[in-house]
Amino acid sequence: MHMWKILKTCFILEKSNKKNIFACIIVAVFVFGLVLFVKTEDLGNTIKEKSGEYQSLSSALSKFQNVDATDSGNGSDLYKNLVLQRHYVSKQSMAIKMDKPEMYLDTAILLVNLRADSFDMEGFQNVASYLPSKIENQLDSVFYQYMKKTGISLSMNSLSYFQFLAYLIGVLGSVWFIFMSIYSSGVMIEDFQHSSLIKGYPITFDKYVVAKCISLMLIVGVFLLELFIFSLPLVYFKGLGNPSYPIAIFIDGTSEVYPIYKYLGLSLLYMISISIFTILLSVIFNVLLKNMYLTLFLELLLYIFPILFPSMISLIPFNPFNYLNFPNLLNGQMFELTNSVDLNSTHGLIYIGISIAIMVVAVKLFLTTGKLKKV
Amino acid sequence: MWAYFKFEFFQFFSNKKNIAIYVILLFFSCYYALKIAPTYIPIEKVDVNEIEARYLTREEFLNNVEINEGTHHLTRFAATIFPEWNEYDKERLDSIEQHNLKEYAEATYKWYAYSDEMIFRYGGGFLFYNPGYYTYGNNYATMDGHYAYLYSASRYEGYSEGTSNLSVKVFEERTALQTLQRLLHAYLPLILIVSCILFTVDIVLKDRQNPTLLQGLPLSDWRRLIVKGGVSLLGSILAILPLSVGLLIIGARNGFGDFDLPVPIYFLGEFSNITIGKYLIQNMLFIVFWFVFIISLLLFVSVTIKNEFANLLVGCVFVIAEFIYFARGVAVVWNVQWYPTSYVQVGQIISGYRNYLYGTEALTFGNGLYVMGLCACIFLFFTFLISNRRKFKLL
Repeated sequence: MHMWKILKTCFILEKSNKKNIFACIIVAVFVFGLVLFVKTEDLGNTIKEKSGEYQSLSSALSKFQNVDATDSGNGSDLYKNLVLQRHYVSKQSMAIKMDKPEMYLDTAILLVNLRADSFDMEGFQNVASYLPSKIENQLDSVFYQYMKKTGISLSMNSLSYFQFLAYLIGVLGSVWFIFMSIYSSGVMIEDFQHSSLIKGYPITFDKYVVAKCISLMLIVGVFLLELFIFSLPLVYFKGLGNPSYPIAIFIDGTSEVYPIYKYLGLSLLYMISISIFTILLSVIFNVLLKNMYLTLFLELLLYIFPILFPSMISLIPFNPFNYLNFPNLLNGQMFELTNSVDLNSTHGLIYIGISIAIMVVAVKLFLTTGKLKKV
Repeated sequence: MWAYFKFEFFQFFSNKKNIAIYVILLFFSCYYALKIAPTYIPIEKVDVNEIEARYLTREEFLNNVEINEGTHHLTRFAATIFPEWNEYDKERLDSIEQHNLKEYAEATYKWYAYSDEMIFRYGGGFLFYNPGYYTYGNNYATMDGHYAYLYSASRYEGYSEGTSNLSVKVFEERTALQTLQRLLHAYLPLILIVSCILFTVDIVLKDRQNPTLLQGLPLSDWRRLIVKGGVSLLGSILAILPLSVGLLIIGARNGFGDFDLPVPIYFLGEFSNITIGKYLIQNMLFIVFWFVFIISLLLFVSVTIKNEFANLLVGCVFVIAEFIYFARGVAVVWNVQWYPTSYVQVGQIISGYRNYLYGTEALTFGNGLYVMGLCACIFLFFTFLISNRRKFKLL
C-alpha cells in the first residue's frame, strides 16, 4: 500500500520536472538529426561505398611496382591478390549499375574469400590501412554467405526504416550510458533539495529507491519509444524495408547473422539494463558524494577508464564498464582494441545484471534516508 | 558590486564541481602529454629512407629509359617530370645528411610545391599523394592530400625564410607550441567550450539552495547576472592553467619551439604564413568570444527555463549542432557562415581549413567574431528585458 502511494508521489514529481521534457526533446532532436544526416550523406548507397573501396585498393597498389599480375607473372602473392580484389570491386560496381544483384553477391563472396587469404600474406601490414580489418571481413563473409543461402534480396540503396533503426541504435547505443548518466546524475538530490514531500513518508529507503527507479524507467521507456516514432519519416522517404533483413554481428566470440528485429531486441535489452545500472549507480554516488556533478564526472571517468588504459580490460574482464559500449562489442571493434576475445557480449549482459543485483543489495544494506537529510 | 563579485568568485572556486573540472582537465592534459603526444606519427614526417627509395627508383628509371616513337605516353610524361622532381629529392637527401636544416627546408618547400602541381594537376589516376591519406573509407583522400601538400609547402617556405631555430622536431610539429597549434586545430576548442558550459551551468541556479542568503542584497537581478557571467568567464579562462601543465611537460621533452614559427593560413586557394604567436592570440580571442557567447546563452536559458539540466542540454546542442549539417562543400548551397555553430572548430576557422572543407570563403575570423558577438548581444538583451520585468524572480 505504501509502495503504491510513494510510486504515485514519484510520478507527480517526475511529471512536473522540466528535465524530463527536455530529455524527451533532445532524444527527438537527435533522431531527427540522424535522419537528416543519413539523408544528406546517403549512407548505405552501395555505389558510393564501392567507389571508395576502389580508390583505397588503387592506393594500396601504388605501393607496388606495376608488373604482370597473372598467375604465372612475377608479382608477389599479395600484389596479385590486390589486383584481383580491385577487379572484383569494379565488377561489383558494374553489377549494381546493370542491376544484377546475383552477380554482385557472387563477386562479394569471392572478394571476402580473397581478402581472408590476403591477411596472412607477406607484407600485409604495409597495406592493412587500405583494407577492411580481419573482423570486418569475417562479418562480411558470414553476411554474404547467409544471403546466398537464404536468397533474401540485397538492399543496394540508402537505408530504409528498419535498417536505419539498426544504425540509429548502433550510434545511440554507444553514447547511451553517457546520456543516462547525465539524465540520472541528480536523481536523489533534486527531490531532497526542494521538496519536503519525501522526507515525511513512513517508508524505508530501499523501497523509495525502487519506486524512483520504476518511475525513471517508465520515462526511459518513453525515450525508447521515441526512437521508433521519430524515425518514421524515413518510411516516407526510403520505404519500410525488411524487418528480417540480416545483420552480421559478433556474438560469443564468433560472427553470426541476426535478423534486424532480433538485433534490435538484443540492443534494447542492453539499453534497458544499462539504464537500470546507471540509475542505481547514480543513486549510490548521489548518497555518497552529495553532488550531482561529482556523480556525473565519476561515472564518466569510470566509463572512459578502460578506453584510456586498454590493458585493464583483459586484467578485469568482469568490469561492467567494459561492456557499456555494446555496439562496439557487437561489431567487433572492441576486439581490435584489446586484441583478445575476452569480451563476450552475453557475459556482458550477465556482468551488468550481477552489478545491478550487487547495487540493489548495497542500497538495502548500507544506505538510509538519514544520509540524505543534509544535501 | 565589487563585494558581490568577490563573494561569487569565492563561491565559484569553492564549488566542488568546479574544482573537479580543474582536476579532470589537469589529469587529461598530463595523460595527453605523457601517453598520446609521444605516439603522434605525422603523415608528412622527415623520413630519409622514404626519400631515398623514391629517389633511387626514379634515378634508375631515368638512366635506363629510352624514348622513341613507340614509347607509352605515360613513360614519356614520367621522363619529363622526374628530372626536376629528383633534383629536389637529391637536395633534401644531401642537406639532411649534412644537417643543413635550412637548406632541407628550402628543398622540401620546392618538393612539396612541385609534387602538388604534378599530382593535382596532371596526375589524376596514376600519381598519388602520400599513401597515408588514402585510408579505407576516405573518399576525399585526394583533397586531403592536396591541402596537406600545399600546407607543408607553405610551412617549409616559412622555415627557410624565418629566423627560428630548426630541428626535426620542429619539422614534424612536435614542439610544445606546435602541439598546441595542432590541438587547437583538433578538439581543444571543444574541450574548452564544454568546460565553460559546465562552469556556467549552475551559476545562477545554485542560489536556490539557500535563497534567503541573498535576499537583502542591494543589487538588481540584472547586475547580479552580469557579475555571475563575469565570474564564470574568468573561471573559464583560468581553465587554461591546468591545461598548460601538459604543455610544460611536452616542452620539457620536445622543446617549446618559438613564437615566430610559421602557421599556414588558407584563403582563396592560396596559402600564406602567419607567426604562431599571432595564431595563438587570434585563437585566444576567438575562444573568449565563444565563452561570452556560451555564458550569455546560458544566462538567458537560466532566467527563462530555470532548470540546470536544460542549461546543460542547450549548451551541448550548440557545441554538437555542426555535425548535423556539416558536409564537404555544403556551403555552396547553404550560407553556413550565419550560424554561430559553424565556428565551433576555432583553430580550423582561423587556419582556413573549415573554408576548404565547406567550399566557401566566408568563414573568417572577422565574420566569426561578428556573428558570435551579435548573438551574445541578442541573448544578453533578452536576458536584460526578462530580468527587468516587474514580476520576474531570479530563482
